[in-house]
Amino acid sequence: MRRWFPPVLVAALALLSVYPLVATGYGIRVMLQLFMWIALAQSWNLISGLTGYVSFGHVAFFGMGAYTAAILITRTGWPWPAACLAGGITAMAFALLVGWPCLRLKGPYFAIAMLGMNEVLRVAASYFEGLTGGGSGLSLPTMHTSVPIYYGMGLVAVLVTALTYLIITSRFGLRLMTIREDEVAAEAMGIDTLRYKLYAFGLSAVAPGIVGGLAARDQGYIEPISVFPLTTTITMIVMALFGGKGTIWGPVLGATLLFGVQEVVWAKFIYLHQLLFGAIIVAVVLLMPRGILGVLQQRYGLPRTI
Amino acid sequence: MVPILEVSGVVKRFGGIAAVNGVSLRLEPGRIYGLIGPNGSGKTTLFNCITGVEACDEGAVCFRGHRIDGLRPHRIFHLGVGRTFQTIRVFPELTALENLLVVTSGAFAPASERARELLRFVKLERLAGEFAGNLSYGQQKLVEFARVLMTDPELILLDEPAAGVNRTLLGELLDAVRNLRDRGKTVLLVEHDMKVVMGLCETVFVLDNGEKLAEGPPGLIQSDERVIEAYFGR
Repeated sequence: MRRWFPPVLVAALALLSVYPLVATGYGIRVMLQLFMWIALAQSWNLISGLTGYVSFGHVAFFGMGAYTAAILITRTGWPWPAACLAGGITAMAFALLVGWPCLRLKGPYFAIAMLGMNEVLRVAASYFEGLTGGGSGLSLPTMHTSVPIYYGMGLVAVLVTALTYLIITSRFGLRLMTIREDEVAAEAMGIDTLRYKLYAFGLSAVAPGIVGGLAARDQGYIEPISVFPLTTTITMIVMALFGGKGTIWGPVLGATLLFGVQEVVWAKFIYLHQLLFGAIIVAVVLLMPRGILGVLQQRYGLPRTI
Repeated sequence: MVPILEVSGVVKRFGGIAAVNGVSLRLEPGRIYGLIGPNGSGKTTLFNCITGVEACDEGAVCFRGHRIDGLRPHRIFHLGVGRTFQTIRVFPELTALENLLVVTSGAFAPASERARELLRFVKLERLAGEFAGNLSYGQQKLVEFARVLMTDPELILLDEPAAGVNRTLLGELLDAVRNLRDRGKTVLLVEHDMKVVMGLCETVFVLDNGEKLAEGPPGLIQSDERVIEAYFGR
C-alpha cells in the first residue's frame, strides 16, 4: 500500500487538474459537486470523527459562507475568491463563538444544539431582508464557466484532506481522539478538552464556509432553504460514516461512492433515491458502524492513517 | 514543612447521601500513604474531589499550599497531581504507545523515548503498537500506571494498582512505587490487598461511610478495633 499509493494519488490529482481541458460543462459540474461533498464530509470528520462530538448542524457553516460571500460580492463588489475565503473565516469565527457554550454539552445534547443553531440561522437569513434579501434570496452576477469553481472546490477538498492527514498523524490529533475515547480520563491526564474541541470545531467550519461561498457563486442564486437544508448535513454525515469516520480516506471514499451512485443510477428515480439513501443509513449503522475503511482496518489490523 | 496535600473538611454529596463527609488528610512529601475502607466508603469519590473530577460541596483541597479545589482536572494535573482509575480508563482505540505519548507536550523524540522505556519497564514493549482496548485487564492497568509516570508528577494517586496485575510483575510495580518515594515523590494509594498496603505504606487512612475512621502506621491500624469492626462487622 505504501509503495503504490503516493504515485497513484499524484497521477489521479494530475488527471483531475487537466480534466477541464477535455470535459463537457456537465462533467465539470458533476466533478465540482463531488469535490464539494468530499470537503463537507471530511470537515464533519474533523470534529465528529475525531472528537466524537456529532455536529448535526454542520450545513450551517455552509450557509453562513454562502451568505457571507454572496453579500460581499453583490453589495461591496469583492472578487469572488476573496469573498469565498471571507466566508470560510466568518464560518470559523461563528463556530468558535457557538462552540464556546455548546461544546460543554455532551452527546445528544450537543447534536440537538447544533440542529437548533442551523434552524436559527435559516430563520435569521429570512428575517434580515435588508442584508440577505430575505425569502426572495440573493442573485449573483452570472458566470460564463464553472471551471474556476471546479479548481476552487478541488483545492479545498485537497487541502482539507491534507489537513486531516496532518492532524491524525500528530499529537494534536491524538488528543482530539482521547476526547472521543474517554473525555473524563483525557481531562484528568492534563488535556484541556474544551480548548481542543474548540480548535477542532473551528477548523471543521472553514472548508464548509469556503465551499458554501463557491457553491453560491456557481449557482448564481441563494435563498435560506437552499443553503441551510438539513439533508445536506445528513448527507455529509452518511458519507463520512459509510467510508469510515476517524480515518483519513474514509470520507473521501464515502463521498465518492455515494455521490457516484447517486449521479449514475439514482438520478433516474427521484423518490427511490431517497428511499435507498435511508436504507443505506440503516444498513451502515446496523452492519458496519465503522464504515468501509473501519471494517478493513479492524480485519487487517491497518493503521488509522488509511 | 508545607504538606504536599492538605484536604480539610471535604464534603461531597450525591442527592441526600454524603459520599465523603468532612474528611481531612495531611500528606507530607516523600512518603507513601494508603487509603483503605470497605466498598462504598468514599475512597474513589475522595480521589475524584482531589483531582477535580468531582467538585467538592464543602471544604478545601490544597496542593503545596495552594487551593486547587474548583480548578478543572487538566489544571490540577499540570500542577503535578497524577492519577490512575479504579475502573480502567485507557484510551481503547489508541495504541499502548500513543496512550503514553498523548499526555506529553514539548519535543517528540524524548517523549517517545521515555514512553518506550516505561513500556519496557511494565513488560509491554512488544505490545506498544497494539490498541490498548485489545490488551488484557492487567495489561491495561499497567498502561495506565505507565501513563501516569510519563509526566513525572509530584503527587501520584493510585486507585487499586495491584488489582488484576500478575504476581511476578506486582513485585516490580511495588518496587517502582518505592522508587518514586525515594526520589521525593508522594504516593496515595487505594488498595484492597492488605499485604500490599501493609508492606508499602508508612501511614494508612481508614474511611468508613464517608468519614475518616482512623489514621496511623499500618501495624496499629490492623489491630484497631474500630477498623476491624468496619471491615468484618461486630
